[in-house]
Parts: sequence; C-alpha cells; structure tokens
Amino acid sequence: MTVLEAKHIEKHFGSVRVLEDISFSLEEGQVLAIIGSSGSGKTTLLRCLNFLETPDKGTITVKDELLFDAADPATQRESEIRRKRLHFGLVFQDFNLFPQYTALQNVTLARELMAKTEKTGESLEDIRAEGIELLTMMGLKDRMSNYPHQLSGGQKQRVAIARALAMKPSILCFDEPTSALDPELTGEVLKVIRSLADQDRTMIIVTHEMEFARDVADKVMFMDGGVVVEEGPPSEVFGNPKHPRTRQFLDKFSG
Amino acid sequence: MLWNVTTTLLGGLATTVEIFFLTLLFALPLGLIIAFGTMTKFTPIRWLCNALVWVVRGTPLMLQLIGFFYIPGILGLHIWPGGDPGRMMATVVAFSLNYACYFSVIYRGGIQGVPIGQREAGEVLGMTKSQIFFKITLMQMIKRIVPPMSNEIITLVKDTSLARIIAVYELTFTGFSFMKSAGLVWPLFYTGVFYLLFVGILTIFFNYLERKLDYFR
Ligand SMILES: Nc1ncnc2c1ncn2[C@@H]1O[C@H](COP(=O)(O)OP(=O)(O)O)[C@@H](O)[C@H]1O
Ligand SMILES: [Mg+2]
Repeated sequence: MTVLEAKHIEKHFGSVRVLEDISFSLEEGQVLAIIGSSGSGKTTLLRCLNFLETPDKGTITVKDELLFDAADPATQRESEIRRKRLHFGLVFQDFNLFPQYTALQNVTLARELMAKTEKTGESLEDIRAEGIELLTMMGLKDRMSNYPHQLSGGQKQRVAIARALAMKPSILCFDEPTSALDPELTGEVLKVIRSLADQDRTMIIVTHEMEFARDVADKVMFMDGGVVVEEGPPSEVFGNPKHPRTRQFLDKFSG
Repeated sequence: MLWNVTTTLLGGLATTVEIFFLTLLFALPLGLIIAFGTMTKFTPIRWLCNALVWVVRGTPLMLQLIGFFYIPGILGLHIWPGGDPGRMMATVVAFSLNYACYFSVIYRGGIQGVPIGQREAGEVLGMTKSQIFFKITLMQMIKRIVPPMSNEIITLVKDTSLARIIAVYELTFTGFSFMKSAGLVWPLFYTGVFYLLFVGILTIFFNYLERKLDYFR
C-alpha cells in the first residue's frame, strides 16, 4: 500500500528556488534515505512534509487522503494542519528536547495534551506506561527521570525518537539524526533507527551515513540543487550510479 | 519617640507595600499582553504597542503620575473617587502601565530568546499555539527573565516613593512629615531601614527562585 505520495513539490525562499518539482512515493514499511550535499534542500523537503514550510506548488497525499494541495487553500486551513501533520513525525538534527521536562515527560507531554483537548479517552497512566515502554525500547529505562541537560547527545536523540514515536506517526522523518553527535555516539542512535526499520516502520531518513543508508534503506534519493538527481534501490544508487553528479558526490565518501 | 515614629512609618510602609503588590498584580499580566502586541504580525496593534512603550519609557514616571491624577479632572472627567482612595487608584494605574511597559520589553526578550526549534518541536507534535506557549515557552522564558525582572521589581520598591507627589501617604512621605511637624530629620533617614529590609526580603526571594529554576538548563 502506498503510504505517501508527494507530487511536484516546489519551494521558494524569496526569489531563490530551493525545491524544484520533487515527486516520490513511499510504500508501507519502506525506508527512504535522502542523501545530498549541504544546501541541496533535504531539510526543506522534510519541513514541507511536516507542515513547517508551505510548498509553493505540489500535492502531498497520505494513505489516499489529499493532505495538501498548493493550488487549493481549503487544504491549508490552520485548524486542520494540526491533525494532518500527525501523520508525520520529525526527529531534528539538534534534538530540540524540552529542557524543563524529564525524558519521560518529553515523551508523554504531547499525548497528554492531546488526550485533554481531543478527549481521546486515554488515561494518563496508559500514556505514561507507553512512554516508559518506548524509552525502554530506546535503551533508556534508567534515564527516564533525567532532564535533557543530564543526558549525552546520543541519549537525547533517542529520547527525541521516542517522543516522535509516542504520537504514532504513519511516517517518521529523520533530519541528519547523528550529525550533531560525537562520532562515538552515532552508533547507538543508528542502531535504534535500524531496529525501527526491522519493525517495518515507514521512514524517511536524511543522512550522511552512507554505509547505514545502504544497509537500511529500500530506496535512496540523491538530491542536488533542489532537484532529485537520481532515485532507486541502494544497490543501484550506491553500486552503479548513473548520473555523474551522484558519482562525484559518492566519491567524496569513499575517500 | 522612636516607638512613635516607628509605628507612624509602619503605616506609611503599609501603603508602600500596597502600591508595590497592586502594581505587580496588574503590571505582570499587562506586560505580557503588551509584549505580544509588540510582536504581532498585525501592524496597527504592533505600531500602537510600540508607541505606548516609547511614550511610557520616554517620559518620567513622576510626570505620568501627575498626568493620570490631574488631567482627567482638568478635562472634566472625574474618574477618580475623592480623597485618599482616588489618589491611590491613580497611583496604581500610573505605576501599572509604566511597569507593564518595562516588563513587556523584558518578556519579549525572554520569549525571543527561546530557540525557534522548541516551538517547531511542539508544532510537529501537534500542539496548539497556546499549548506551545504555556507548556513549552513560558517556563523557559521565566527562567531567562528572573535576573532582569528582579532588577526592575527592586526598582519598583523605591519608585513607590514618587507617589508622595500626589500626596499619597507612603513611607517616604510619612518620614518627611516629621520634618515639617516636629523639625526631625532622622525619621526620614530611618525610612531607609524599611526599604533595605523590604529589598532584602525580595533579594532572598529572587535568589530562591533562581535556585528553584536551576533544575533545567
Ligand atoms: N528559511 C530560509 N530562508 C531562506 N533560505 C533558506 C531558508 N531555509 C533554507 N534556505 C536555503 O535553502 C537551501 C536549502 O537548504 P536546506 O533545505 O537546509 O538544505 P540541506 O538540508 O540539504 O542542507 C539553502 O540554500 C538554504 O540556504
Ligand atoms: Mg539540512
């Protein structure tokens, strides 16, 4: 089943065109890795999917529901965006944990607020139990009552992943989840993401970890200058890149 | 004699404390509203709030106090009740507006100092704008503004003495009264002890608050 379909996404900042005619789709349980040099528009694309930016053109469809159509203002109502964006989760490069809350509170806060405002009928105990379960899955059982400043970068990012998972997104997006980490801490975060891939989570991962992308992804997209230069299975894009720009980019990583 | 003076000054202190707390009661929330006003995308409101802050910060509080007390009467609008209650009300209104404007600038700095990623993290998790403000931004803002706010609030303690210009019997005025009635100078200086005690208690409170907020960074 197709979970996500993005079509002809275009985004300008002022007169600068940052994304140009981006189209791709994602099947249930698939992992899409997006690679590309800095400034190629990867973050902007994830931000468009998460409604942090509004594309100037294009459509976004999730599970056959048209969430966004740049040509149709009715799809852009503030009141509905809040519900629509919950199809997506986003893990930021620099974590953005809430410093005044413990690891567990970071994970449960949004769900608790949701239970209050939307009357979902969920009890606070259930939400809490689920938060504990998620943090345990992240290997942070003994860190639940620590505040973010008491955690290492790798631990913070794992809390951030648990926080995103708590909202049960259909598609989980990662924006360079290990780029702000010391090299010795990237492993623990990649391991967690890998285990999510093994559980058949649908994910979009922007990363510079090429080995990892090759291992985990079902599909790789190489972006450059706001366009998708090449897209295909990892064996193709990494093993046999067709476009010279892709080859040039990958050469920098093979040292 | 000392006992006599002390009890009289305590009466003045009560008025000073009353001005102080009433001003905070109104200025703390009003300052937040003005802060939002100066940050809104809606230009007329933003312009209005910026103009208000400019006028209030650009003129002496004493002038504002006199203006609030006398100008309505001059215009034939007798909005203040007669006697002491009227003087007190005018004082609290003038002080509240004045301090709200100073607070608004501190609040704005505190809000803008919270990284934008905090708000975006809340948005992505499906929180509403008000949930993001009250559950995420507010606490981080409070932590940031405690030092500048404590400065401003300590200044307020001493600014209450300006109220004597419209004959409010606050602490300094009662100290003065002994000079006029009995030719005594020392009661005026004695008021300093009360101000010092008041500010000392506030200092202890703010230090406590800062320590309380030390649990996160
Ligand atoms: N808010 C913004 N305003 C103006 N230009 C922006 C903004 N955000 C990103 N850009 C520009 O868009 C381009 C793509 O940025 P980004 O999506 O962050 O790339 P990447 O994540 O691939 O490094 C860059 O040239 C960047 O300078
Ligand atoms: Mg980026």
